[in-house]
Order: sequence, then C-alpha cells, then structure tokens
Amino acid sequence: MNATIEKEVVIKTESDIVVARRAVREGASALGFGLTDTTRIVTAASELARNIIKYAVEGTMVLHPLEDGTRTGIELTFVDHGPGIPDIAKAMKEGFSTSGGFGMGLPGAKRLMDEMDAQSAVGQGTTVTVRKWRRQ
Amino acid sequence: MTVRAKPRRPSGSAQHNPGPKGDDLLQVLVENVRDYAIVLLDPDGKVLSWSPAAQRLKGWATDEIIGQSFARFYPEEDIQRGKPQNELKAAGQDGRFEDEGWRVRKDGTRFWANVVITALRDNNGKLRAFGKVTRDLSERKEAEDKIKKQAQEILEMATIPVVQVWEGIVLVPLIGTLDSARTQQLMERLLQHVTDSGSPVAVIDITGVPAIDTQTAQHLIETVSAVRLLGAEVVLTGVRPVIAQTLVHLGVDLSSVATRSSLAAGLRTAMEMLSLAIVPKADKP
Amino acid sequence: MSASSITVVKVRDVLLVAMPSDPDDSVITALQEQAMRSMDQHEAKALILDISAVETLDSFFARTISETAQMVSLMGGRTIIAGMRPAVAVTATQLGLPLKRVETALTVERALDMVSLGKRQGSAR
Ligand SMILES: Nc1ncnc2c1ncn2[C@@H]1O[C@H](COP(=O)(O)OP(=O)(O)OP(=O)(O)O)[C@@H](O)[C@H]1O
Ligand SMILES: [Mg+2]
Repeated sequence: MNATIEKEVVIKTESDIVVARRAVREGASALGFGLTDTTRIVTAASELARNIIKYAVEGTMVLHPLEDGTRTGIELTFVDHGPGIPDIAKAMKEGFSTSGGFGMGLPGAKRLMDEMDAQSAVGQGTTVTVRKWRRQ
Repeated sequence: MTVRAKPRRPSGSAQHNPGPKGDDLLQVLVENVRDYAIVLLDPDGKVLSWSPAAQRLKGWATDEIIGQSFARFYPEEDIQRGKPQNELKAAGQDGRFEDEGWRVRKDGTRFWANVVITALRDNNGKLRAFGKVTRDLSERKEAEDKIKKQAQEILEMATIPVVQVWEGIVLVPLIGTLDSARTQQLMERLLQHVTDSGSPVAVIDITGVPAIDTQTAQHLIETVSAVRLLGAEVVLTGVRPVIAQTLVHLGVDLSSVATRSSLAAGLRTAMEMLSLAIVPKADKP
Repeated sequence: MSASSITVVKVRDVLLVAMPSDPDDSVITALQEQAMRSMDQHEAKALILDISAVETLDSFFARTISETAQMVSLMGGRTIIAGMRPAVAVTATQLGLPLKRVETALTVERALDMVSLGKRQGSAR
C-alpha cells in the first residue's frame, strides 16, 4: 500500500527544490499528517535540499514511509557526494555558516522534525536523515 | 430480485396440501432478507451460492462470483495479511467467527461490515461448507466516527477554549500548566481562529495558569511571535504579582508584549488597539 | 513557474505583489528585483506582499523578503506582508525565520488601511 509513497527525487537545479517540496507535501498528507506538521516537514525538506544545491551541487532525496507497529511516520534522506562537512557538530549549531548565511538550515530542520542524523566525510559527501512521527 | 416463492395451489386439493415445506420457507426467507447478505462457501472458501441481498451489497453478478474465492470481498492489504483464510480457519476450529471491518464491493468502494462465518458440518462432523452472513454497518460506523470527532473537538475546546468576545477580539482563557503539547494545540487553534475571524487582537489570559517557568514563558513568547506573523497583536492578561516576580527572576523578557494584570484591563487595551472605547451610558436628565 | 509570473500592481502610492503558492528561487529573486525597480519608478511609500497563497516559507524566501524590506526601508518606504497562513506562521516561528523590518497584516485590505492611516499594526519581530 505504501509502495506509492516511496519516492526518490534527483536534486540538481533550483527548480528541483520545488519538485522535492511537492513530493514531500504529497507524501506527508498521504500518510495522514495534519496541515501544520506537513508544512513543517516540507519546510525542513526545502532547507536540506537547498543545502545540496548550495554546497554539493547535486544529490538525491529519498522519501520513505515509517511504520513501527503503533506509529506512522515519514523519513527523508538527503544524500550527496559533495565536499562534506568537516565538523558536523559545529554545522548543527545555530548561526554557523560558511556561506554568509544565517546558519539556520540544519538546526532549524532539526527543530521542525522529531529526529535528525547527519553523517559526512570530507571529500566524500554528506547524508542527512530526518524523521517525523504522526501525532495521535 | 428473484423471489422463488411458489404460488399457492388452488384450495380444492387442500387435503393433500401441507403448504410450502420448511426448507422452501427457509429458502424464501434467505432470498427475502434485505439487510443480511448471505453467502454459502465451500470448505476452501469458494462461493457456492449467495442471496439476492449479497448480490445487491457486493455488486458482482451471480455467475461472476460463483466459484471465486471469497477473498475478493476483502481489501488488498487484508488479503496480503492472509486475513480471509485466517477467518475461515478460525470458523472451522471454533464453529463460528465474527468480525467487524472494511470489505470491498466489485467497483472497489468500501463498506464497513459485520461478518459472521459459521462452519456447516454434516451429521458425521465433516465440514461441508461455510455460511457467511454480512451486514452493511457503514451508516452506523459513520455516525460513530462523527460522534468521536465531535467528542475530540469538545475535548479540545475544553482544554483550550478560544472565544470570540468582541468583533475583532478573540480570548483564550488558559487553565492549567502549559506544556509543549498544549502549546502546539494553543498555537494551532488560536492562529486558525484569528485567521478565520479576521481578528486583529488576541487576548491570552493566564489567570488560571498556576505557575510559570522558563519553558512556559518560552512557549508563550513563541505563540505571541506566531500570532504577530499573521498580522495580529497579543495582549497577555492575568499576570499576577507572583508570576511577574517569577518572570523577572527568570530573566524572561516580555517587554515586547502588552501585558495587563486583569482580564478587564486587558480587554480595555484590546479595545483601544481597535480604536474602540467603552463609555458609560449618559444619565438621563 | 517562470519569473515573469510576478506582477507588481500599483494602487495609489502602494505597490502590491501577489506571491504564487510554491515559488521557486528564481521567482523569489525576481520579486526582489521587480519590487525595487517599481519602488524607484513610482516613488511608492509602501510595498505590500500578499502571501495568502504561500504554503511554504523557508529561510531563503524569508531572507529575500527581509532583505527587500531593508532596501525599501532605506528608500523611505515600508514593507507589509499580508495574509500569512496559520501553518506557515507556526513553522516560521519554530524555524526562527529572520523577518527584520517587515510588518504584518491579516489581509491586504488591512495592510492598505495601515498605509493610508499611517498606522502600525503587527510586526514580525
Ligand atoms: N550538503 C552539504 N554539503 C556540504 N556542506 C554542508 C552541507 N549542508 C550544510 N553544509 C555546511 O553546514 C553549514 C551550515 O548549514 P546550514 O544549512 O545550517 O546553514 P547555511 O546553509 O550556511 O545558512 P542558511 O541555511 O541559514 O541559509 C553550511 O554553511 C555548510 O558549510
Ligand atoms: Mg542552509
């Protein structure tokens, strides 16, 4: 049933950010998220997709429904093979930016979602996974 | 509809006429029951025959369904979980199985059904068939869901009431502690109400909030910020001396928010924001 | 969605821009350029952004609005965003979006009233 929700979006150009947002909006509402949570998830996705365009040139977003017996959720994984992040802990801090930005993308996305894992190796790329569970 | 009740014989031969036999009467009953769809299945679950009511409920033509597995009446995800076969097995073991859940019609639409499957055994105890009686309870289910939803709304209203006290002014009298989950509810309900009613002022009364900590204060500040993004203002009322003391000691900065000690004073402030004033009625000379 | 889809309407001495529901980055960038050009041409005293259709306000969009507002302010004008949706406002607050120098209004009508009455209503921060 959930096979239709599973989705992969290639993120290469700025307009792919819009494609990713739309896919996430559709997926989140199909999984039964309310309007406010859907907006949170879409906004987090927008931040993470934009980081790929900005720092890694290209990558992908994979949308995955979650089910753990009692709860339904959504998982978004952003993968790129760009320059990587030397110090993830630092990058996760509010206000840290190497591009003169506000450094709000990563910490903001974390606040909007329930869980975030980020892995990165310099020269190899970055993988950021975020999850959100539906409120009962 | 096919009713095969036999016409009465002429009364002349009454002496030899015992009337329709018991089996025939049962057949008439099965075919005329409207609210119960009756299906006869072989021991493997293939349809042997069904009543007109079953045809009406499920939508297949009789010759389309005879010989087909009764799994076709179940939603795809139930079939994958092996639900139809499990139900037959349970009925075979216990003699009877009852379930309430979604079933599908030929056109793919769903209905909420009460289903009883009964194992039919011959005198030697050999399983000969299953009888399946299905009742469409969609209307009851719909009514129940509606009541549940209303109860949920009443509960939300009771925990966080949002009241339109004046044109352009909404009031939220908060009672009890304000944790993150309630703040979420508060924000969503208040913001929706402000937008729907086009009210430029929201009065949040915290008279009923027993104590305030840094977290609660942070939640209030967040709510105020969100309301302002909509283009409305917040007046915080019911700030009692002890709460004012705590806020100052905690170093919480509420200076950007209009705060008033009493709800009455807060309502006056809200009116002023809308360029409204309450004036005493002039005494008659 | 192409950049040309941004229309700036002049009403008296106010510039009115209606944002589409899910604008891409080029549309948002075009908004800033168009708005600045029109401010200069018409010597408008306010820029009103109708964002009632907008479903997602991320940091890029918010930053562009905020920058535009600062530019408008340097030219002696004010910027009002009107009609933000509740779900967007909750998300923006939690994300901590910077919306400096931006005023807010419930509707475009109220934003117009604010300008003609020279009154301040809500402010984003
Ligand atoms: N996919 C990525 N690949 C490489 N570096 C990244 C990636 N994502 C984030 N970074 C690094 O982490 C820093 C922080 O990212 P974050 O999104 O929090 O802020 P920002 O992009 O700099 O600013 P903002 O998102 O507020 O515009 C970035 O400045 C960048 O150095
Ligand atoms: Mg970023």
